[in-house]
Amino acid sequence: MRLTNAVLLPGPVKVMTSFVELFGEKGYLADIGMSLYRVITSFALACLIAVPLGILMGTFRRVEAFFNPLVSAFRYLPAPSFIPLLLMWFGAGESEKLALLFLGVVWFLITLIMDYAKSIPTDFINTALTLGGNRKQILWTVIVPAMLPNILTAMRQMLAVSWTYLVIAEIVAADSGIGAMMMRAKRFVHIDEIMAGIITIGFLGLFFDILLRAARRMLFPYLESND
Amino acid sequence: MTGNSIQSTQRSGLVLQHVSKEYPVKSGESVLAVSDVSFGVIENEICVLLGPSGCGKSTVLHMMAGLIDPTLGSLTLDGVKIHGPGQDRGMVFQGYTSFPWLTVEENVEYGMRLNNVSAAERKERVDYFIARVDLSRFRNAYPKQLSGGMKQRVAIARMLANAPKISLMDEPFGALDAETRWHMQELLLDIIDESKMTAVMVTHDIPEALFLADRIIFLSRHPGRIREILSMDFKQGRRITNKEELIETPGYIELERNILRMMRQEASEDV
Ligand SMILES: Nc1ncnc2c1ncn2[C@@H]1O[C@H](COP(=O)(O)OP(=O)(O)O)[C@@H](O)[C@H]1O
Ligand SMILES: [Mg+2]
Repeated sequence: MRLTNAVLLPGPVKVMTSFVELFGEKGYLADIGMSLYRVITSFALACLIAVPLGILMGTFRRVEAFFNPLVSAFRYLPAPSFIPLLLMWFGAGESEKLALLFLGVVWFLITLIMDYAKSIPTDFINTALTLGGNRKQILWTVIVPAMLPNILTAMRQMLAVSWTYLVIAEIVAADSGIGAMMMRAKRFVHIDEIMAGIITIGFLGLFFDILLRAARRMLFPYLESND
Repeated sequence: MTGNSIQSTQRSGLVLQHVSKEYPVKSGESVLAVSDVSFGVIENEICVLLGPSGCGKSTVLHMMAGLIDPTLGSLTLDGVKIHGPGQDRGMVFQGYTSFPWLTVEENVEYGMRLNNVSAAERKERVDYFIARVDLSRFRNAYPKQLSGGMKQRVAIARMLANAPKISLMDEPFGALDAETRWHMQELLLDIIDESKMTAVMVTHDIPEALFLADRIIFLSRHPGRIREILSMDFKQGRRITNKEELIETPGYIELERNILRMMRQEASEDV
């Protein structure tokens, strides 16, 4: 009984030593690098689409009317339900994982950014209009600057979700990455390594959260509050 | 009838003829916010729109700015039909509209940048108007560092630096405390007087209206229409920039009481 407990729930010392082993002998740094690459690449792609589209949808009613049915529908479809399809289309390579991570965040990111764009005070826009601004000027000198801090906040909110899909992608089919390491560890009942994986993901999530908060504070010192 | 007479006598300046505004509310219904309003804003005057809240003051001002269109009637500026907002009609809003990402200086400069005013002229006008609203010490500050009164001074300077033909102000001091409000009214009257601007100011504050106005358009509600146009005869054709002096001027108290009575009637008609 005591033995099984120690195996299924290793103590902190055991977990710490497994970190040393993972980094020293099992190439864990490469796994982490791979996971980071997947999250950052797919997230950058999602932002590339979601930021301009979200801003345009939040600004122009017609753009919203055109894209919103699609975006809303996809928001309700769980991204993991696409895994079988993605596996058939892309195989179990990098594209499949990037596609899953992308699909997991892009619809929510669009919606969040659209809502932020809609919450820009009407009087900001009216002020620019009564100063003689045209639509293009207002987009670039009012809406975009008003949106920048919000974009960073939306990114912080959705990056956490991206990590969730990373683990799903790597557990389903991967031979590298933090999730893949955890699945290997499961096969050999190395619970300490699984714990190390969970801790790593938690730590990275926290790290990015702090990083993006700090970036917001530094980039936008003029803001009244800093959340 | 009044509309026609205005048309024949006044072609320059801002003219409203039989202006009505209906707002659509749910399922085919609509509220008549402004009904058959006709008047002209005289050049270099301060025209105050006064009335109880909900009488359509903001609606009239937004139509003058071109931010909303009238349902019926026409608005013209120097004989040209108003079509959408433009640089010639500046506006200050009740809420704070200083752009938080720009410094005081950049906020004041903002409108001129939109209109491609040369750098040299921008600098000159920024310097002048920032000094005029007493914000020289804060020119590099962001709005978050400013008090409410200072934010409204930024908004006023930004509008004036953009050199509009007409300045529209929608209860610009509505959110300020009494003390600040008083100071702002004196400052505003001073600036308007000095630069010979034409201004339309909305308020529901009677002393504010009497202090600033060359003429008061009193609106009644349900629907919003002109109840009375009051000329400030007691000022004898000059502006009194000192509030104590104004209150002691013969005729002030009577006019204030008269307007207060109209306000009361408007309020009682509601119940
Ligand atoms: N966008 C709108 N939609 C529907 N009704 C409106 C709208 N704006 C104003 N109203 C109504 O029109 C009337 C006049 O409003 P407003 O011009 O804001 O008055 P004031 O500025 O004198 O307080 C009010 O009854 C108000 O409820
Ligand atoms: Mg109003």
